[in-house]
Amino acid sequence: MAKLWAIIKREYLERVRSMWYLLSTALAPIFFGVIIIVPMVISSRTKASPDLSHVVILDATGTQLGIRVAGELAGGITGAPSRAIVRAVAPSELAAAETTATHEVMRANDPMLGYLVLDSATIAGKTERYAGRNASSLIDVKEIEGAVRHSLLAQRLEHEGLQASRIKDLTSVNLEMKSERLSDRGREVGGLANALFSYLIAFLLYMMLMLYGQQILRGVMEEKTSRVAEVVISSVSTDTLLAGKVIGVGAASLTQILVWVISSALVFKGRGIILARFDVVNVPIPIPHIGLGVALLLLTFFVLGFTFYAALFAAMGSTVTNEQDVQQASLPVTLLLVASIVFIQPILLNPTSTFSRVMSWLPFSAPILMPLRMTMVQVSWTELAGTLAGLISGCIVATWIAARIYRVGMLMYGKRPTFREMGRWVRRSA
Amino acid sequence: MAEPALDIQNIRKSFDGHVAVRDLSLQVPRGTVFGLLGPNGAGKTTTIRMILDIIEPDSGTISVFGQSSIQGRAGNRIGYLPEERGLYKKMQVRRVLKFLAELKGVRGRDADKRIEMWLARLSLTGGDKDWGNARVEELSRGMQQKVQFIGALIHEPELVILDEPFSGLDPMNAQALKDTVVDLRREGRTVVFSTHLMENAERLCDAVCIIAHGDKVLDGTIAAVKAEHGGHYVAIALGQDRPSAVGDIFADRSLVNRIDDSNRTVEVELAPNANAQLLLRKLIDAGATVERFELVQPSLHRIFLDTVGATGVEAGMSGHG
Repeated sequence: MAKLWAIIKREYLERVRSMWYLLSTALAPIFFGVIIIVPMVISSRTKASPDLSHVVILDATGTQLGIRVAGELAGGITGAPSRAIVRAVAPSELAAAETTATHEVMRANDPMLGYLVLDSATIAGKTERYAGRNASSLIDVKEIEGAVRHSLLAQRLEHEGLQASRIKDLTSVNLEMKSERLSDRGREVGGLANALFSYLIAFLLYMMLMLYGQQILRGVMEEKTSRVAEVVISSVSTDTLLAGKVIGVGAASLTQILVWVISSALVFKGRGIILARFDVVNVPIPIPHIGLGVALLLLTFFVLGFTFYAALFAAMGSTVTNEQDVQQASLPVTLLLVASIVFIQPILLNPTSTFSRVMSWLPFSAPILMPLRMTMVQVSWTELAGTLAGLISGCIVATWIAARIYRVGMLMYGKRPTFREMGRWVRRSA
Repeated sequence: MAEPALDIQNIRKSFDGHVAVRDLSLQVPRGTVFGLLGPNGAGKTTTIRMILDIIEPDSGTISVFGQSSIQGRAGNRIGYLPEERGLYKKMQVRRVLKFLAELKGVRGRDADKRIEMWLARLSLTGGDKDWGNARVEELSRGMQQKVQFIGALIHEPELVILDEPFSGLDPMNAQALKDTVVDLRREGRTVVFSTHLMENAERLCDAVCIIAHGDKVLDGTIAAVKAEHGGHYVAIALGQDRPSAVGDIFADRSLVNRIDDSNRTVEVELAPNANAQLLLRKLIDAGATVERFELVQPSLHRIFLDTVGATGVEAGMSGHG
């Protein structure tokens, strides 16, 4: 036990003392702070939204629709008069007018944002066309689309004999969807914020497993190539060495996560004070409530996931003796991890589908995908218990196999073993 | 009689069909310096790894100070210096030594005290620079070997196992190592070392075991081995101008069985029933200037060559075992 402790202590302290560790631990909270504070400061400094009225409107409808749209686009927050240029064109001249408008958009000094085409299809309530520099901005396109819809509706109502002032009253409807998530705990914050938060947790888990897994692999390789392993193995069993390594490095990574979480929470809580220094009004940022139970579960998933991957990375590290082989040796384990991360998006879109559920049960992807699911939707206790039981079994099998590969691999030099040879090591020392 | 420090009975180890050690038995009495000799690939390192429980023998038993259990077999009573040396490069010397001490059950102030004592004894502190605070990678190769040597002895082991301790050492460090081995013996500790440098083995060892191709070829005290393998040997030193007739005398099979000509000195094994006096007379009659003519026991080097055979030696002289 004292020997295991000596190994844990060495692995932990040597890692925590390294410049890389100190820098990444200290800089990450500053980075988190920056991504929380800076967007708020910037958005408060940006007084006006871009003036969407700086467009050419090609009106082939033969009505006043173009002028209405120009008025509708005017101003934004600043209430400036519309800069839109409305050109009434005959449908047959539309193509030529579009070419001219394209040049106006492309020209170097004071370019237009784009041009909008209104024609008979627009009047029929079917389509409108917009070409512009900001065409890939969803918000801008939605805004223009809304302005056209609004103008068309107003034009139709006026046609039916309604007064202009009356139309304005009737059509000014500004609805915003506020979504809330329902779970056993009752109502919670909005779906989007929740999904983002879950994604961050899953990505953090993935990042830590990958980073520290690779560190273990390199650490093992270094011990092997520097031959220091032989001295250590003459004093402790390979199982103790492997266990000490996984626990020591795991503790270092947990320390780092803890520092990150606590410092981010402090920045988050104290953001009012920081924002006040920039004369920015603090606004509430919705983040989901993480209770002690969920926090402990997240910790459990991390610890088990770490054990699973660290053992496998260590086993792979024991099979290589040079830098060139590292990538190849780590590939099978890395692929398992990457397989988990590529399924984040489909699970984010539909966390309750059968696919999402099955992926979150499998031992190799559970450490990342179950935390993702359980922070997004309600996962039953039986499902959680089953996943944990599966993951624990996975850990036992992985460490069992890893310990056997490690035992032989640490004393083998020369060419890298094939998977068949590794299989023989596992069987022979079983 | 006290339990031997090391008792090996009929151990065997094979790797993928290749037999590395075949039915090896040997005993190392306490308080002796024991040499494990053999050419490259003879099975020395495999034997040492089995003694240290790094690998398990396929069959046979090994007991250290009477303890034969696999788990923690007298682990803290053994110090080990492997053939291929290395330490954690990025670690500070004192921290590496503290770690190695802790692995052997020496902790806290006790470990610190011993580390300081050894660093001073091997001149790693006390000079211009305190190398104890340097990272291992900042040290010269010789200094790194000293640190590793301290690591093997920090817990004051009763049995010290050194695998090819002299390989790669400069004369200064080799001398320091020899002095330490002598000190260890004086303190009553048992030292087992493997080597293919016969001169060192002959000077340091009380007893030796020669193995080749996984088999024990011979073992016993130096005196016993020499007595057993002693033929009639004569060491002869001849003057610069050696008459051509001397070659004919050495080629006379009724007189000389074999010679080992090292230019200034020639070691001659006399033929059975041959007379040393007759050889001396013939050399003088041939006009040779005889500067030295001494009846000697065969050198360990000679015995090694005789027993292991030329093929094994050719491979072995270049490297490790």
